[in-house]
Amino acid sequence: MAALPRRIIKETQRLMQEPVPGISAVPDESNARYFHVIVTGPEDSPFEGGLFKLELFLPEDYPMSAPKVRFITKIYHPNIDRLGRICLDILKDKWSPALQIRTVLLSIQALLSAPNPDDPLANDVAELWKVNEAEAIRNAKEWTQRYAMEDN
Amino acid sequence: MGNCLKSTSTDDLTLLNGRSNDSARESIDQEPNLQFQDHIQPNFYSVAGGSNTVQQSLTEDEQIKIAKRIGLIQHLPITQYTDENFQSKKVPSECDICMNDFVVGDSIRYLPCMHQYHVLCVDNWLMRSLTCPSCCEPVDASLLSSFENV
Repeated sequence: MAALPRRIIKETQRLMQEPVPGISAVPDESNARYFHVIVTGPEDSPFEGGLFKLELFLPEDYPMSAPKVRFITKIYHPNIDRLGRICLDILKDKWSPALQIRTVLLSIQALLSAPNPDDPLANDVAELWKVNEAEAIRNAKEWTQRYAMEDN
Repeated sequence: MGNCLKSTSTDDLTLLNGRSNDSARESIDQEPNLQFQDHIQPNFYSVAGGSNTVQQSLTEDEQIKIAKRIGLIQHLPITQYTDENFQSKKVPSECDICMNDFVVGDSIRYLPCMHQYHVLCVDNWLMRSLTCPSCCEPVDASLLSSFENV
């Protein structure tokens, strides 16, 4: 495996030394570009109390291109699809090399607090979120309880 | 935002598949402090996106676009990082792109918004997007239009 760029080493060290509250990101033992991530559901959101597993991969040309991030834990959210793919501008066309793993994960956590059904990735979820927000939030809470609170 | 539905699902379903078996293309990341002369700069540009297969088959239009982009970037001022910079603290102590400390003698490129980066780091980015990595300001829209719409 080719040498790891200094930037990735630094980011990893800083993530360990000054972890972001509510977020843990640990590099895989065999691949320093692959991170096991856990994000806690933000307070006052339907995801509160949940622990959401994600995977984050730094592509070869990182930081010139964005990290690839995906939810592994099932989540009921209009901007996250069944496969866990996330609709977030900074992961696509609004990426900038001044962003970091830390800022990406904070943005994902913020997306949980502020679902945006007008820019959907999961169409059925977004639709319900628009026509019956109360029911959508109930579903999100139920999924959080069912998939993000098991102790395993 | 938007367009997420259109982006075809080339995302690896398990990102572990992307475990790096990359070989030669690390060199760009590794040498952020590399010193080089202005006039040989274009040698360092890799084509945006970085897919080897695409690189082989650039159309003439694409090649012209790249050449214009290089021309534009070279209008942005370069200075050497000096001891004064280091002491004044007006210039940040590290490059936001490679996260390495600026070292006296490093070539620094100034963008119109006055953000500074290593020349090699920011040029690599500007070939992909003519925006400042830190503030997202377009790198001189007027220059851009005069160059790219010729």
